[in-house]
Amino acid sequence: MSKQVSISIDGRTITAPEGEKLLWVALENGIYIPNLCAMKEKSHPSGSCRLCYVQVEGRAEPVTSCTLPVTEGLSVQTRSPQVDRLVKSAFELLLSNHRLGCGRCPRRKTCELLKMAKERGLKMKLFHLEPLEWPVEIDDSPKTFAFDRSRCLLCGRCVWICQEVAKVGALGFTGRGIDRRVGTFQELSLAESPCTECGLCIDPCPSGALYFKESK
Amino acid sequence: MTVETPYQERYRKLKDSAAAGEEALSRQAVIQVGMATCGIAAGAVPVKEAFVRFIEEKNIDARVMEVGCMGHCYAEPLAIISKPGFPALCYGYLDEDLVERLVEDYLLNDDPCYEFALVALEPNDVFPTLSDFPRGVHEKKIVLEHCGFIDPGEIDHYISRGGYSALAEALSGTPATVLEQVKESHLRGRGGAGFPAGLKWEAAVQAGGGTKYVICNADEGDPGAFMDRSILESCPHQVIEGMLLCAYAIGAEKGYLYIRAEYPLAVKRVRLALEQAREKGLLGSSILGSSFNCDLEVFRGSGAFVCGESSALVRSMEGKMGIPATRPPRLAQSGFRGRPTVLNNVKTFAYIPPIINRGVDWFRSIGTEKNPGTAVFSLVGKVAHTGLVEVPMGTTLRELIYDVGEGVANDKAFKAAQIGGPSGGCLPEAAIDIPIDFDSLQEAGAIMGSGGLVVLDEDDCMVAIARYFLEFTQQESCGKCTFCRLGTKHMLDLLTAITEGRGEPEDLEVLERLAWEVKEGSLCNLGATAPNPILTTLRYFRDEYEAHINEKRCPALMCSELIVYYIEPSKCSKLCSVCVGSCPTEAIYTRDDGLKAIDQDKCTKCDNCLKTCPPDYNAVIKLSPPGLLAEKEGGKGA
Amino acid sequence: MVEGEEELIRTSVSEVLGEQEAVRESLIPILLRVQEKLSYLPPLAMELIAGALQIPAVDVFGLATFYNQFRLHPPGKYQLQVCMGTACYMVGGKIALDCFERRLGINEGETTPDREFSLERVACVGCCTLAPVVVVNEEVEGRVTPTRVDGILIAFGKKIQPSTGVGEKKGDDGS
Repeated sequence: MSKQVSISIDGRTITAPEGEKLLWVALENGIYIPNLCAMKEKSHPSGSCRLCYVQVEGRAEPVTSCTLPVTEGLSVQTRSPQVDRLVKSAFELLLSNHRLGCGRCPRRKTCELLKMAKERGLKMKLFHLEPLEWPVEIDDSPKTFAFDRSRCLLCGRCVWICQEVAKVGALGFTGRGIDRRVGTFQELSLAESPCTECGLCIDPCPSGALYFKESK
Repeated sequence: MTVETPYQERYRKLKDSAAAGEEALSRQAVIQVGMATCGIAAGAVPVKEAFVRFIEEKNIDARVMEVGCMGHCYAEPLAIISKPGFPALCYGYLDEDLVERLVEDYLLNDDPCYEFALVALEPNDVFPTLSDFPRGVHEKKIVLEHCGFIDPGEIDHYISRGGYSALAEALSGTPATVLEQVKESHLRGRGGAGFPAGLKWEAAVQAGGGTKYVICNADEGDPGAFMDRSILESCPHQVIEGMLLCAYAIGAEKGYLYIRAEYPLAVKRVRLALEQAREKGLLGSSILGSSFNCDLEVFRGSGAFVCGESSALVRSMEGKMGIPATRPPRLAQSGFRGRPTVLNNVKTFAYIPPIINRGVDWFRSIGTEKNPGTAVFSLVGKVAHTGLVEVPMGTTLRELIYDVGEGVANDKAFKAAQIGGPSGGCLPEAAIDIPIDFDSLQEAGAIMGSGGLVVLDEDDCMVAIARYFLEFTQQESCGKCTFCRLGTKHMLDLLTAITEGRGEPEDLEVLERLAWEVKEGSLCNLGATAPNPILTTLRYFRDEYEAHINEKRCPALMCSELIVYYIEPSKCSKLCSVCVGSCPTEAIYTRDDGLKAIDQDKCTKCDNCLKTCPPDYNAVIKLSPPGLLAEKEGGKGA
Repeated sequence: MVEGEEELIRTSVSEVLGEQEAVRESLIPILLRVQEKLSYLPPLAMELIAGALQIPAVDVFGLATFYNQFRLHPPGKYQLQVCMGTACYMVGGKIALDCFERRLGINEGETTPDREFSLERVACVGCCTLAPVVVVNEEVEGRVTPTRVDGILIAFGKKIQPSTGVGEKKGDDGS
């Protein structure tokens, strides 16, 4: 059992195991910090969604809480003007690449984007950016679920589950830059891929890209 | 009198035999042809073949040697001719005819043809040497010392000039001494950020025992930069020796040179150099008879700019996508295969042997206090004398461009110096009196980067250059993090709209805000520095953005959507029809009066007609905004 | 797949796998070597490599689509790579690229239907002093003006006829 340390989040004193990442300490204590790509089981945080910024006392720049190990006396604020600005910007960037239409989205009840919007007072619409238009691409070849890439936020949870938990390796990241996507070998449909339809990847998806067909 | 250690003795024997080989050849004339990639591209191969052929034909006692790049790229193909009894002379702009003449007149008949010589390489009474030119006054070569003067394929050339003596000396002492010297030298890593090399090495030492790695980052990806390529192609052994010294200091037995795939010649030469070093007992097990074992090998990159970022580079060596990882841990704690790893740039390693040989005080006497040593630049773009240059830190940009580079080419007006590639910025005339060092450049909004310096003149549009770099970073973004993947895309889209005349006044505000957020929010330095070209051009050249947006005008006449080509009837001649033939789309026609005109519907703005119109006429001009055309055509359709 | 092609792919891959240790770390060297032999990475080759290394095929495909060096389709007989380094871009690299596109009737990243020419843009090749630069089958050509573009193409047997613009987008499906 590792050493327990005492830290402060938004003025609340919390005891946590030393070295645990701040994001998990906060979430487990009921303090919300926006996040998409974080998975506690992963040994090394991905740090890709850039949403979990917090303000650490004594540091000028906001820090991602998924990479911040807690140490004795650490004091953080989950909100600050700088944090809010970065979160708002990352949120709008993600939204510009996400097919909206929440009313018909099968995941509208569990959507992390909607949750974030509610918690942080953000709007599900673009203010400054033009939407990046991609053709709607839904792979409904599996019997039980479907994959709507136009709603994918590239958090990578499904890829990790498919490769490390299910040990199937049907899903993976392909391409680079703006062409990066969650894909399959040769971009085949899931039915043509090694996918076993184990369904483990569906629930972790934060955004309605992967969903069970009956829930639609 | 200090006693020679067994390692020094062993080294001395290597050196003596190398020197004897050289000595035997110094009685004949030697022609050294610059054969780095740039020289070869400029035509060095036929030049070298011509030398060989004519020397054979005329039965002359002379030897033709391949050397690397000596940095005077503007005058390629280049050769240095050293004939006993004459100072070594460098000749530029060579072709077969000139080679024939040099062989005939100089090698055969003792007339050095001074009219074709660029510079003498040693003091003499007849011809100016490098120090007689402004460039020579400013230049101070440490990492480029041997580049262009030795055959990179002959380890003896490096050894006979004292190469690997630093290694022999280090082996005679302790690893701690080497580390101490590097720390004391205050050498800052030359990969871009300027982190002190000694501290990085120390962190790897402190990470404890066990397996460690040394990696040389030769994934030089900045467009407009080719210093690392030239060094590896021209003097690979200096980098290898530097890596071995690092390995010795930190206790590593294995190292890699990560060389980008676009540099096949560098890969070839480094592999040959490693082989030769192994044969001489300078690499592999029990180096120079000591208990120090270290082997190095080449890892070929496969084309991803982001792999210049150290954690991405390591991931790619592990057979994965080159995607930066979050920190901590740093590579010095957990790098390649999870082991402590020191990763430095090509130039950083190349500084180590001279520092060990000549001492810390010597090194710190060059450059400035916080930035000791030199800066190596590839000086390219619209500068008269393009090339590879090395000047002490603290030299001003103005001196570099106007003295070393001899100013802007073709009598054009200077507009900006783009420094640091896609992570750097554009500095205007008013900002080029700053000294070149890591801190001053950062303050001005640019960065030292790996050392690419592109000179821009009045014909270069600053919005287009910002767009160019954003297109580059957008394509090269690994796509992992939100800010870089999507932010660079949106910034590129905004810049594209502006250069195509679709920009709105509020776009500038959105662009600037997004640029700051991407800078602050990105995961790695590629994303965090990607907005620099936008931020510096907005800071220094905002008026150009405004002209594009408000007047739909490109002041530099570069953005093709905002210009039209026009033939001035008053300058055009009935007697000439060069432009008609040059037009790939038959857009140029002959009017009833014999003068030429452009059918705008067919014109693709390829610039051919403007380039081919004889200087006597200079009748083809560009107009911006395109609306000016109606005015020129006498109100027709206005 | 052409007759004998599958056999060629299988032999090439097994040759390369014989040279390299079958571990994940060897993946990039293996892909580079296989591509040197086959000039591109056919799906079968990627599957064979994934099998030998015991990693998901999608990871091999992911790498092949991440790095610029890897090709998923066979290239043309003459590979034209237009350098888009800063120095080249500022003095007409884009113009040279446009000219090639116009003359060949293809866009960058594509191969002519007769498989004679393929056209790519490359990041800086480090020959900035000769800008603009085009790499033709690994040989660097410097100072490539629009007329030089025609010269290069004629040297490779391309008939140059005036055309009116970029040809319609031709497929590069590699089939």
